[in-house]
Amino acid sequence: MSQIPKPVPQPAPESLPYWEAARQHRLELPQCEDCNKHWFPPSRTCPHCLSTQFKWSQVSGRGKVFSFVIYDRIYRPAFTEDVPYVVALVELEEGPRILSNVIGIPPDDVRCDMAVTVVFDDVSDVTSVPKFKPL
Amino acid sequence: MIHPSTELRDICAIVGAGTSRLGKVPGVSSLDLIVEAMRNAISESGVQVSDIDGIICRGPDELYSQHQLVGERLGINAKFSTTATNGGASQILSIALAVMAIRHGLATTVLCGYGRDAWSRTHKSEEARVRNETRPDSQLAKEFGPEYGYFGAAATHAFGATRHMHLYGTTKEHFGHIAVDFREHALRNPDAQMKKVLTMEDYRAQRSIVRPFGLYDCSLRSDAAGAVIVTSRERARDLKQPPVLIKGFGTYNNLRGWFADDNMVMTSAKQAGETAYRMAGLGPRDVDTAQIYDCFTYMVLTQLEDYGFCKKGEGGDFVASGALRLGGALPTNTSGGQLSEAHGEGMLQIVEGVRQMRHTYPAHRQVKDAEIALISGHGGNQVCHSTLILGRA
Repeated sequence: MSQIPKPVPQPAPESLPYWEAARQHRLELPQCEDCNKHWFPPSRTCPHCLSTQFKWSQVSGRGKVFSFVIYDRIYRPAFTEDVPYVVALVELEEGPRILSNVIGIPPDDVRCDMAVTVVFDDVSDVTSVPKFKPL
Repeated sequence: MIHPSTELRDICAIVGAGTSRLGKVPGVSSLDLIVEAMRNAISESGVQVSDIDGIICRGPDELYSQHQLVGERLGINAKFSTTATNGGASQILSIALAVMAIRHGLATTVLCGYGRDAWSRTHKSEEARVRNETRPDSQLAKEFGPEYGYFGAAATHAFGATRHMHLYGTTKEHFGHIAVDFREHALRNPDAQMKKVLTMEDYRAQRSIVRPFGLYDCSLRSDAAGAVIVTSRERARDLKQPPVLIKGFGTYNNLRGWFADDNMVMTSAKQAGETAYRMAGLGPRDVDTAQIYDCFTYMVLTQLEDYGFCKKGEGGDFVASGALRLGGALPTNTSGGQLSEAHGEGMLQIVEGVRQMRHTYPAHRQVKDAEIALISGHGGNQVCHSTLILGRA
């Protein structure tokens, strides 16, 4: 059976460092040099103070599930093997919320505010995707 | 805080309202649906086409500069015309812009409308039906979504439903009351797309779309368009229909995003509603009927809270009380709404609000003695909101 490939991220120029870090199994976010806050999705201007002085910094990878949904149906053939699967909005300890999958737990057991930590899924030789599992 | 000008209250009226054929209208483009609705609105109003000097419209998304295409097909040059791009909040925004343009002498009579061939578009092929996408590809995310199997507006709104259920104990059964009550209203409406009774038992047995949403939590894919004509109160007097006054409007946009702050459980309906209430000099207790943007059942529940019809977190009990039914405390989406009449991105709800204010419906469709209608529009990646308050002249 031929495996239908999943969509791969098509990064905007400002997100390239995020995906490069993910490839090396590090979760990195832009962090402001002036107000020290992190943000997501990546951009070149701090949405907290509008500074353009920022660095890419590794974050803890720990957070909690702010909310989530469960897909039972196959809307794209590439996800046939995955249903039912969880798409969650994870609030990281550093503040930003990022969309991802929660894996390693039956979907029916996922709850809002559940503690999770990042894991990396090597979807190809050149792309790894951050996902989360219960802490 | 800047207070909205109460000078805008009651200076303009809606003098014509029309729809296209609704539901499944194969072989008609989005643009021709809009033109059909606009033609019907013009025709019932008694307005001369040569008196229309403004067009503010939206749709279809895949076309550019839509007001221009509409003007071409209706043979109208306009002093004031543009296309709004706030998703489902655009339609009330168009009316707000029309009132402001008329107030400042930039136009006298403005045509507003929206339409889309969403049923035909999603039924062209089996793949189109399963994907069920009504957005052009250019609007779809390229990263931070598709790689996780995250697709579609149902999932985005479902995040809000999950969070609301977690915080306030809201249940699926609560969402079910909304679906069932609006379907009952649709059965009174001969133009509605849905013709079959929906029971709570049917609702419980529905198939999953993306949990917590099932089939009946989701609005319809419809070929549908609607249009209204806005003019000054003075001009309205000499026309064919009883004028319906524009008492207030407001907009608010949580541009930080649906996923930011508490926006998924406290929507921009709150601030847009406060502005509209203040302009109109009214509050939630004065509203006799609500036409709420019902892209998904949950969105009705949170907006009822955000508009102050009940307290935050008490929307579940409010809808379970039967308040939304014709004859209830706040008859809502009395034509069936986007869940059961047809999905016209909020435009059909404006038309329904106008018709309720005219008191021309047969008794089984009329909200008895209704004097004030509140209408909401929501969209543009879930963060744009607009509110319109109409009243009997």
